[in-house]
Order: sequence, then C-alpha cells, then structure tokens
Amino acid sequence: MVESALKVAETRSGQVCIVAVSGRIDSTNANDLLTRLNTLLSSGEKILLVDFKEVLYLTSAAFRVLLVATDEAERNAARFVLCSVLGQVRDLFEMGGLLDAFTILGSREEAVAKLGLA
Amino acid sequence: MARPVGLLYAVDDAVPAGMLVLSALQHIGVIATTLFYPLILAREAGFDPHATLNFMSLCMLTLAVGTALLCVRSKFVGSGYLCPAGYTQIYLGPCLFALQNGGLAVMFGMTVVAGFLQTALAPALRRLRPLLPSEIAGLVTAIIGLSIATLGMRYVLGIQGHREIRADSVVIAVIALATMIVLNIWTKGLTKLFCAMIGMLFGCAASAVLGQLDLSIVASSAGEALMRVPVVQFVGWKFDAALLAPFAMVAVASTLQTLGNVSTAQRINDADWLRPSFRSLSGGVAANGIASMFGGMVGTPGVNVYTACVGLSSATGITSRRVGYAISVILLVLATVPVAAGVFLAVPYPVIGALQLFLGAFVLTSGLQMITARMLDSRRTIVIGLSFAIAVTADIYRDAFATLPPVLQPVFGNSLVLGTTCAVLLNLIMRIGVRKRESLNLEPGPLDREAVEEFLSEQGGRWAARREVVSRATFGLVQVLEVIGSRPGGVEIEASFDEFSLDIRVRHAGAPLALPEHRPSTREIVASEEGERLLAGYLLRRSADRISSRAAGERAETQLHYDH
Repeated sequence: MVESALKVAETRSGQVCIVAVSGRIDSTNANDLLTRLNTLLSSGEKILLVDFKEVLYLTSAAFRVLLVATDEAERNAARFVLCSVLGQVRDLFEMGGLLDAFTILGSREEAVAKLGLA
Repeated sequence: MARPVGLLYAVDDAVPAGMLVLSALQHIGVIATTLFYPLILAREAGFDPHATLNFMSLCMLTLAVGTALLCVRSKFVGSGYLCPAGYTQIYLGPCLFALQNGGLAVMFGMTVVAGFLQTALAPALRRLRPLLPSEIAGLVTAIIGLSIATLGMRYVLGIQGHREIRADSVVIAVIALATMIVLNIWTKGLTKLFCAMIGMLFGCAASAVLGQLDLSIVASSAGEALMRVPVVQFVGWKFDAALLAPFAMVAVASTLQTLGNVSTAQRINDADWLRPSFRSLSGGVAANGIASMFGGMVGTPGVNVYTACVGLSSATGITSRRVGYAISVILLVLATVPVAAGVFLAVPYPVIGALQLFLGAFVLTSGLQMITARMLDSRRTIVIGLSFAIAVTADIYRDAFATLPPVLQPVFGNSLVLGTTCAVLLNLIMRIGVRKRESLNLEPGPLDREAVEEFLSEQGGRWAARREVVSRATFGLVQVLEVIGSRPGGVEIEASFDEFSLDIRVRHAGAPLALPEHRPSTREIVASEEGERLLAGYLLRRSADRISSRAAGERAETQLHYDH
C-alpha cells in the first residue's frame, strides 16, 4: 500500500533541482508544499522539476499551489516544470483543463535530460 | 482494449479491396437467408410475382440503409462495429398478426411505431443499465443462437410443413455443413475465411444434382428490366392502439437483441472485454430503431442486427467496420437488380438450414461466454437459468401458448421475446435488497482525510467495488469536504452501492456547493480562495458521472454518483 501522507524529497541533477512529491496533496498539506517550493525559488534555484510519479491525487488546493508557484518562478526568472504526471493524477489535470497551464514533461529522466541541455 | 489472438482484421483496420468485396458478399449470402421472413409476409399479403420481386428489392434497400446506420461510428447513431442488418423472427409474429387483422397499412404503420419506440429507448440505455446487465444480453444472444440452430435443424431435416424427415434434405445439408466445418477448422487462408459462402455453393450444387434447386422465382424475374429503382408500392400507414403492446414488446426485444449483438461485436474485438461500452450500444439501438422506421416508411418489415453475421465475423476473424459499408453499397446495387432478389430466394431450405446450424453454434457459445464472464451469484443464476428454461418452453408448448389472448401472443409465441421478458422482469425483482448503505459522521473540525479514505476504502473492499471507481469517489468526497470546511453540526456522509453505481451523499450546514460548467481562469484561481472553490466545483462536476448540490431544509446536500 502506498503511503498517503504527503512527503517531499529534494535531489539535484546538475542545474536541475528535483522535488519528488508523494502521497495526496490537498488543503491539509498544500501550503506546506507551497512553502517548500517558495523557499527553493527564493534561494536562487533556476530550474525546479516537480516529480509527480508517487502522487496519488491532488485537489483544487494543490492546483492553486502549483499555479502560485508557477507565478513565483516567473517572477524569479526560474523554470517551473512538472514530470511523471500519470494515471489518475493526469486525468485530474485533464479534467481541470490545466494540462496547458503548466510545462509538463515525460519521465524524470527525460525531463532532466531536456532541462539539463537547456 | 487488447487485440484478441486470431483476429485478422479488427474493427478499425483497413481490409484489402478484394478481401473486402468477398467478405461483404459472404455476409450478403448469410443476410439473404433472412429475406425468407419478408417472403412469408409477401405470400400472406397475396403479392403477385412482380410485386414480390419489388418488395424483396425494397427489403434489400432497407437492409442497405440499416447496415450503414448500424456500422457507422458517430456520436448518436451507429454502433461503430461490424453489425450488419438482417430480417428477424421478432417482427414476424406481430407483423403477421397486424397484416391479418388490419392489412398492410397497419403492419407498416406499427413497424414505424416500433422503430420509433426503439430509437426513443437509445438515449435512456445508460439509466436502464441496471435493468439490462450484460448477462441478460448474453442470455439474449444464447437464445438467438439456439433459435437460429433450432430453425436450421428443421430445414436440415426437411420437416417444414410435414412431420417426416426427408433424406434428400439431410444429404444436401450435411454436404453444405461438412464443407463449412472442414474449411473453417482444417484449412487456412481464403477457404477458411469464406467457408460459409463455399459451403452454401456446395449445398446448392448438391441440391441441383438431387433435383431440389427450384429456379422458378429466378425465371419469374426474367421478364423484369435488368435494372430498375424499386418503387414504394403500398403507400399508407395506420396506427392501431390494440397492437401497441405487441409492437412495444418488439421494440424491447429488438433492443435486447441489439445489445447482445453489439456487446458480442465489442467482445470479439477486445480480449480484455468486461462490460459493454454504452455509447456504442446506444448508437446501435438508435440506428436499429431508425432503420426499422425507414423500413416501415418504404413498406418493409423492421430489421435487426443480424446475429449470424456477428457470428460469421467471429468465425472468420474479419471484423472491420469497412466490410459493413461494402455490404451496404453492394446491397444498394442489388436492390436495383430484380434477378438478384430471385437468386437469393432460390437458395434451397436445407442449405439455409446448414448455414443457420453452423452460425448458430458460434452465436450460442458467444452468448454463453457473455453469461459466464460474470460472477453468477444466486440472484443471477435464478434470472438466467429460469429465463433460459422458460424461453425454451415457448417452442415446446407452442400449441398451448397459441390459445392465449392475442395481446400475449407476441410474448409467449416467441422464445426470444419470452426469455428476455422473463429475464428483465426477474432481474427487476431480484434487485430488491441489493443496494448496501453505510454512513459516517464527521465532527466539526479540520478535515480528517484518513478517516474518509479508510471509510471508502473499507466499504469498497467489502462491497467488491472496482478500485478505480473507489479511487475517483475518494477524490470526490475529499474535494467536497475540502470546500465545505469545518461546519457547525459536522458532516453526515452516506455511501451506497450496488453493482452498477456507487453513490455518496454529503449533508452539511451552509449553502450548496457551486458547480460551475466552465473552469475559472488561472488568474481567478490564484487571486482568491473563491477561485479555488470554483475550480473545486468544476473538478467535481467533471470527475463524477453525476453530481448535484441543493439546499435541504437548513442544511445542504451534495450527491455524487459514479457508474460502476
């Protein structure tokens, strides 16, 4: 059984700061995720890759956090990219008509390879 | 959707031109045997040879239109699968009754009514789903297979009209049937693909040798023009309220037969098939209804997806929809050639019998597979077992049922209609007590997501609900609770389940939820919590199969419905 509590782990691959998120993202923990993302952006990270592979679902609160983080990244001249948006999570992005609101790449490896060259 | 082993051309595949035409001709050879049903009506109506040939051409025109409508893939009309049209025994009984008691105008008028009723049923099929589960569609298919084989056996034995078995009929049928079986089982390539057509040709050759090939109907077409447009010869349509019940049953039986056939066509194309796609079923039923209305309008009986053709596509592995279009075009051309109608009607009965026996085997087993694909608990066992047994009695006790009041004749005089009516009614009765309910009360305070997830996960497991549906429902419930927030008096949650739906009802203080049809802009979502709430409502509307939120006294009630 996959752990449902939100966990956020950071790793680095060259210039890319990878934020691996797992569990559910909803109103009870969305602000924790926003704080982490804002901290990374304000610390000068220029390429932030959020890996959704282990995310089980996300609610409207999570979508708002991701949109706010996208704005924040723009203000900091940083790139904010999502990867491994799969299954039910992808369905939710699609249902919300939000696939185009973010830069979404394939797997983590593909995303790192692409962003590393940019 | 997984491609089954042995499928040569799937529903969307292109078929080489030569193969396409030959395959379409083989289907037409099979479909043509159903012209026997309108021929019975033509004889009953007392048509002369010229009128009979014109009537048969009109019948081919209806089949051409029906096949195109049934096979096309569109939003509202068409199954999207290779489901050619044929004439059916479903219409025969009520049409004969209408003809004898009101004449041609009543027969055609009531055919239009039956087609209209069937078309009207199509959009409601999803809601009627609990009443028409796939095991009943399987039962319908199995009964049709049995009916085809039973009728085929009568022709094989040559006992039509008299009681003794005719040796020449049996010899002809055995030659035709053996050819079909040997080519289908022990050969490959073209001979396997066209086993039915080759078997029929061998049967016709044997009939000629034994002096059983009657070409008088072909000869009667010799005086006709080589090509001509068939004319609507008996204009007039009448409605008879007394015949509404039998023709309404025709619409229901025809719908069930379509459901069985389209489900079979879907299953043939998908090794992972578990349950039918309703868009395709609704499109098929609407197409069938429109085709029957067209038939009534031009002066022919109603049509149905021809089960034997679906069986043929299973036997040969050619299931491309394009074959259906080819069938339609060729039938359209043949409708203008009087001699074509004559040739089709000259196929000897033992050959038709062999073909029906051969295809009936595929249809019957396909129906049995659809039934056993479902877990048969006691309720389903009673519905299917009892209905099947009762259906068989329609043929055994035909004479006894013939003494029933006329309004009941179309039901009790036809094994298919009797069996399906029984199954639908028994299924309705057996649904009593099927729905299970559980509730959970949340105290005022922060969202306890774990408690909510555990509640749905545990109940879902206990009810054997599909994981994917429970997962969607969990998202929906958490999203609703997130929007509601902490409310005085807490939140009451009630989840209820039967095999067709998972429903969640949430009662809480405050106003109903906003469920917008359009997504708020990303600016609105970022700018305020109101934007986020509107996004939540939009996501809920999109993720649930049905949702409503309304004021209920001093509290609000939100209902989420998920198809299962």
